[in-house]
Amino acid sequence: MNLPDYQFISAPLWLVTVLHLLTLSLHFMAMNFLLGGVIITLLSNARKRWDDATAVKFARLFPAATAATVTLGVAPLLFLQLVYPRQVYAAAIVSGWFWLGVPAAVIVAYYALYRASFAGQRTGRAGKAVLLLALAGLLYVSLVYSSVFSMAEQPGLIRDLYARDQSGFVWNPAVGDYALRWLHMVFGALTVGGFFVGLLGRNDVEVFATGKRFFVGGMVAAALVGMAYLLALQEHLLALMRSPAIWALTASVLLSLVSLHFFFKKNFWLSGIMLFLSLAGMVFVRHTVRLLRLAGEFDLASWRVAPQWSPFAMFLACFVVMLVVVAWMLRMFFGAKKSAA
Amino acid sequence: MNYPFWDVPVSYGVLMAVIAVFHVFVSHFAIGGGLYLVVSEHLARKAGDARRLEFLERLSKFFVLTTLVAGALTGVGIWFIIGLISPTATEALIHNYVWGWATEWTFFVVEIAAAMIYFYGWKTMAPRAHMAVGWIYFVFAWLSLFIINGIVTFMLTPGQWLATGDFWDGFFNPTFWPSLVLRTGVCVMLAGLYALLVVARCEAGGFKERTVRWSAGWGVAGLAVTAVCQYWYWKAIPAAVTAKALQTMPTPIHSMEISVWLAVAIGALLVVFGLLAPRKLGYGAAAALMVLGLAWFGAFEWFRESIRKPYILAGYIYGNGVEVAQADRYKKEGLLAQMAFKTGDDGADLFRHACQSCHMLNGYKALKPAFDGMDRAFIAAIVRATHQLKGNMPPFPGTAAEAEKIAGYLGHHTDKRPLAEIYKLEGVELGRKAYAIRCGVCHVIGAASDKSQSFAGQSADDLNNMLNTAADLGEGMPAYTGDAAERKALVAFLQELGKGGKK
Ligand code: HEC
Ligand code: HEC
Ligand code: HEM
Repeated sequence: MNLPDYQFISAPLWLVTVLHLLTLSLHFMAMNFLLGGVIITLLSNARKRWDDATAVKFARLFPAATAATVTLGVAPLLFLQLVYPRQVYAAAIVSGWFWLGVPAAVIVAYYALYRASFAGQRTGRAGKAVLLLALAGLLYVSLVYSSVFSMAEQPGLIRDLYARDQSGFVWNPAVGDYALRWLHMVFGALTVGGFFVGLLGRNDVEVFATGKRFFVGGMVAAALVGMAYLLALQEHLLALMRSPAIWALTASVLLSLVSLHFFFKKNFWLSGIMLFLSLAGMVFVRHTVRLLRLAGEFDLASWRVAPQWSPFAMFLACFVVMLVVVAWMLRMFFGAKKSAA
Repeated sequence: MNYPFWDVPVSYGVLMAVIAVFHVFVSHFAIGGGLYLVVSEHLARKAGDARRLEFLERLSKFFVLTTLVAGALTGVGIWFIIGLISPTATEALIHNYVWGWATEWTFFVVEIAAAMIYFYGWKTMAPRAHMAVGWIYFVFAWLSLFIINGIVTFMLTPGQWLATGDFWDGFFNPTFWPSLVLRTGVCVMLAGLYALLVVARCEAGGFKERTVRWSAGWGVAGLAVTAVCQYWYWKAIPAAVTAKALQTMPTPIHSMEISVWLAVAIGALLVVFGLLAPRKLGYGAAAALMVLGLAWFGAFEWFRESIRKPYILAGYIYGNGVEVAQADRYKKEGLLAQMAFKTGDDGADLFRHACQSCHMLNGYKALKPAFDGMDRAFIAAIVRATHQLKGNMPPFPGTAAEAEKIAGYLGHHTDKRPLAEIYKLEGVELGRKAYAIRCGVCHVIGAASDKSQSFAGQSADDLNNMLNTAADLGEGMPAYTGDAAERKALVAFLQELGKGGKK
């Protein structure tokens, strides 16, 4: 009997790529709010810049932000594994225990954030210790991701590391490869976190000022680290310059400046949209860098494409239903809150 | 063999089971609990029962904390672990079912949003809107079961898919419906068990009594559905698979029997405490019910996983990640030639990829005791013949030379003294041990391939002659390579067996 072949992609590649990068951008947006928000809350509280009430107000949002981060992370992971299984599983296996620690760390962070939010409701004070615990969990997750996904771009490195140690306790030793990339992410998180702090604290001079400080500071720092990262790409930099990604990068930088401009004007809608577009552009650049680094080992075009249109239609229909139902529920919820207030 | 092998000192099966059983326990509660909450809220509002509403609000906090955090993240955990221990099968599943999972993800998003809004909205939302959100939660949570059920049942009974490769053929496979109804029953049962755990802490009185009765009713109803469906499910598995299991696979059959007894125990406790003496329900009994429920689910999932042997995706990928379609090629070209990741130690690489996804050297399903005291020729013969052994194993996927390499690797880690010395045995007892290791792995006494009959009335000389020609008796049967003392003891034991066989 001829058994079916599983090595295929069940939709055109462009479609999968669009879904992958779109959901990844949304994941980053939520993750940045969470990570940046927790850091900013802790710092502002420690420096007595904020009163407790403000910190509590933010702490109450973190569980929902975690839910959003996790949920929006599941989708890009699915598409990532669909298109790059050879690279991603191999890197994950070599760092197996660290990889498996990710869901565990998220559980710890999640419960810590719930505690902080419930504690705040009762005592009026956000628990610093639990927020620190949550931050440790989040930083762990982000570091593992940076190190594993960067390893996944170097099959040769994976082969060498595995030949030496099969225990799953291998941490990517090519720190130079992902330290800058990770730092860029963290500063990006402070930028986006700053935006949200400004948005939520728009009526409070002190809170808005904090948001502004992090928005601007994060952006400058992220830009500097980003430049350093690009230069560190060495031979891939030239290829990147010749690819369409360089336009995306340019546009992203400009968009983030425009976003800043609207932020100062307190036009949060436009500022937010520009910020998201800028982030999405960066995600596209990141995608291009991945393909450049994998060139020679892996070529997207080598996938056999055999669309499964009817299951795809089911997904699309359910996706629309999801948007409608979630929007309806949010309207009911916030509508009720407004009329109660 | 496109992936490296995660070489851990814990059995893959055990690691997987721990995460998976916990996850299914919470995730099925996540569905049934949603239904319990919203139905009870309807009744409470209709009766204007403030006490009950307050109880439901508390239950929903417990609910959100368990399902959204532990439930969702252990689900992510399963996904992470299967990528580590079965990357090939995970890749195959994702390629075939990515749109199924993407669809499930849309339900998941609605589910998460609804759970949070339901929980945060008790005080602020209008009752009708609040209950609508509760219903939305339940419907979408159940829909996500609908999808994942198609994929999980596909792994055991892919049905027509093996011929057509069509998404829907594999999705609506022979065990899809029985499993869906069974799991729905489990959801309802678990909702009752969790609610009992929360209400057990309330002070005794009318409220507690009513709530215990109501919750135990959910438990009993769910259990009844589950019990009937378990039979239906068993019948829906192809007869060839169940027959083979009954003959040669003790693990799934034991799990099935255990799960039946656990179900009986759960039913008895529910009837006693829940329906006859609700006032007496304390925290201990409620916790015992939870533990029994967890054990029941564990036994059922263990059954489902173990009856799938030798496959991880039935008929398609073996438990060690070898694609059925490629097995012949591997056997010819060798396994080493297919490995994308190597360590330089061929024996270790081969052992890991061929055997270690199911066996540890020491520990769970340990192979060391099976090979202690044995020589390389015997070990190599067993490695080549795994598909003949008990346990329904996949065929050895490499060349004869590679089997030798595995034997070399195993021989390196096993005890090389003779059996008599290792186990301090002599006479018939030594023979019994020799039989268990050298023969019993294929000829299980009292099972299909029992050869006791053929030893009946044989002299020691006859039996010695038989051992001299052992390698010619059956395909894969190893030559006899034991020393003189072991041989004598084995012959004596075979004569004992023959006497038993004649009776
Ligand atoms: C798909 C899982 C799987 C794979 C792969 C596998 N086995 Fe097994 N093996 C089993 C099961 C299940 C049993 C039955 C255990 C029992 O009855 O307790 C078993 C039993 C055995 C036994 C009998 C052990 C005893 O204690 O009675 C030996 C020997 C054995 N396997 C060797 C091997 C070797 C060598 C390999 C690799 C070439 C291998 N197995 C690959 C699942 C597997
Ligand atoms: C790897 C599996 C395996 C092992 C180990 C094994 N056998 Fe066999 N044996 C077979 C197979 C296969 C056959 C042929 C099919 C059959 O008769 O069931 C067979 C057949 C036999 C027969 C039947 C011959 C006949 O014509 O009726 C006898 C007797 C026998 N084996 C005895 C033994 C003894 C004694 C040992 C231990 C020293 C042993 N076997 C170990 C696989 C094995
Ligand atoms: C809640 C804590 C989380 C944090 C702080 C976090 C943070 C991050 C960071 C920093 C990166 C970028 C890594 C890099 O490329 O250098 C990343 C990427 C990613 N995350 Fe998250 N993450 C979290 C949870 C999750 C979860 C639970 C999932 C999925 C189940 C997930 C899925 C992904 C995916 C798929 C990518 C990269 C995709 C790609 O490279 O295309 N994340 N995350």
